[in-house]
Amino acid sequence: MARTMFEKVWDAHVVEAMPGDNALIFVDRIVAYELTTPPGAVEIERRFDDKLFDPSRIIAVNDHISPAKDSESAMQARYLRTWAQRHGITMYDVGNNGICHVVVPERGYVDPGSVVICGDSHTCTLGAFGAFAFGVGTTSQAGAMLAGCVILQRPKIVRIAVNGRLAHGATAKDLALFMVTKLGFKGATGCVLEYCGSTIDALSMDERMTLCNMAVEAGATTAMIAPDETTISYLRGREAQPAGAAFEEKAAQWRGLRADPDARYDDDLIFDVSDLRPMVSWGTNPGETVPLDSVVPADASESSLSYMALAPGMRLRSIPLDQAFIGSCTNARLSDLRAAADVLRGRRVSVPTIVTPGSQAVKRAAEREGLHDVFQDAGALWTHSTCGACCGLSLGVLAPGARCISSSNRNFPGRMGTGGRVHLASPVVVAASAVLGRIAAPDELAPVEPAVPA
Amino acid sequence: MSARFEGAVLPVDRANVDTDQMVPAYLMNGVDSSGVGPHLFRGMSGGPELLAAHPDATIVVARENFGCGSSREHAVWALVQRGFRAVIAPSFARIFEENAYLNGVAPIVVDAARIDALLEAPTLALDLEQQRLTSARGEDVTFALDPLRKYFLLEGGYLEFMAAKRGPIRDWLRKVGETTSY
Repeated sequence: MARTMFEKVWDAHVVEAMPGDNALIFVDRIVAYELTTPPGAVEIERRFDDKLFDPSRIIAVNDHISPAKDSESAMQARYLRTWAQRHGITMYDVGNNGICHVVVPERGYVDPGSVVICGDSHTCTLGAFGAFAFGVGTTSQAGAMLAGCVILQRPKIVRIAVNGRLAHGATAKDLALFMVTKLGFKGATGCVLEYCGSTIDALSMDERMTLCNMAVEAGATTAMIAPDETTISYLRGREAQPAGAAFEEKAAQWRGLRADPDARYDDDLIFDVSDLRPMVSWGTNPGETVPLDSVVPADASESSLSYMALAPGMRLRSIPLDQAFIGSCTNARLSDLRAAADVLRGRRVSVPTIVTPGSQAVKRAAEREGLHDVFQDAGALWTHSTCGACCGLSLGVLAPGARCISSSNRNFPGRMGTGGRVHLASPVVVAASAVLGRIAAPDELAPVEPAVPA
Repeated sequence: MSARFEGAVLPVDRANVDTDQMVPAYLMNGVDSSGVGPHLFRGMSGGPELLAAHPDATIVVARENFGCGSSREHAVWALVQRGFRAVIAPSFARIFEENAYLNGVAPIVVDAARIDALLEAPTLALDLEQQRLTSARGEDVTFALDPLRKYFLLEGGYLEFMAAKRGPIRDWLRKVGETTSY
């Protein structure tokens, strides 16, 4: 029978069918980090003799608060570190770490067709590689650390064909935000999204990760993109992948992972995005997003308007800002930093602006290109890599009422600090907005005057 | 745990209550699951006041998409540690729903049209075995539960269940090997 890409991966990992359309699903890779893994590891330590199913399948990253900001976070980091050492688990720690959804793929730990879990909802980022990658709770992750499997209810499968060339300043982030508005903030709950189409084919891996990262913002279990030559070129030579013929043998397998032509989906959506323009969120969930050149909608929810201190009909461009943030697992990879730096080169920011690279490897690569100078010459703060301001943990937590434009993924009430207001946008829109001190697109900026030769 | 109980309602008259609002990330500061109860709804404006006004509540009633956002199980642990045993809403985010089942908090889906009345009810009676919800005001609703997860909800023991599967899982792994051809 014809199968979708997701079905092929699912079928290959079903250990046992269970009541209620559930299945025991084998997990190839578990990503652990300091906030949600230790409570599960502690249970295994206390009740199951500290015995893990297969430590070689686990990758540990201190990411959410790294380096530790207080003694509590230091104890969490220390627990993860000593646990990883005790079990011989590969660990990316202070100095060599970053956000796990950036570190794990850049080190090559995501095989197309594999099942990857992590106690973090943005694990769907890794679906960009054609992996079935999804967030789980601590107990579910602990079950996989203990027995190698999770129990999952079989999701519905939605094919989303996206066609057309991204133009008019639209980026993968604008596409990601657009998809959340189309699917609805909870519209894809219980679904796996299979993205395909000419737009998707043309995206780089960084861009595909940005798109898949926000699948969970529509409630989806995850998104997946079939592996192609872009995927294979990205993974070739990464540290966790074998070299030479062994890699090419794997790649040959991956090339076969795609939906059969007559596969059936629970839903089938088609979009043309040739006219897509930069998007900015106005409200308190990522579904409350409109084109940057438009206004706060007339039918906006009262509670969102009140939290965001906005009124219907207000032009987004008129909204003044207190802070700008470029970072997070959505948009802090090297290509994002290059794009933001292109906007900031030769210009000055007019509000406090924080640039937090997605990983220490991204940071070093950016510095080799001089991007850190561009950001700092513009007056922005160039930080080490961590989740940081995105979830209100460090490096740019908002004051109550403060308004920040952010390249991250969530504008929930209090997400970046109690009472803080967040507008989601692409890195280039964040950069342009940082310059003008209000929500702005790069094409609004005055040309940079050529430097006068000395 | 007893499958039948009556409890006071915490009326959370909001949609999209995300897990950041239930336990903000900066309060996820333990190495184990203890100690998060006092942080419940600390990220929600008016949350602590709402809890204080309903000190005996054991059943949350809320609007759609409850528990969206972060995967943090801390949100469910905080509910458990404050004595909550059920959340009633028209819909739940997937990860929250899974976490709730595994920690003995019933995620009960009821039609959105009934939520107004349930928010008004001071107390509700739940029978998780029979999957039935009643109130003194005449509400009488049956609801669905995942047949597998209902077992974990009522009996607990998810990790013990998984531990018992280790043998069969290793057998499966030996049988299928590491390579999969698509």
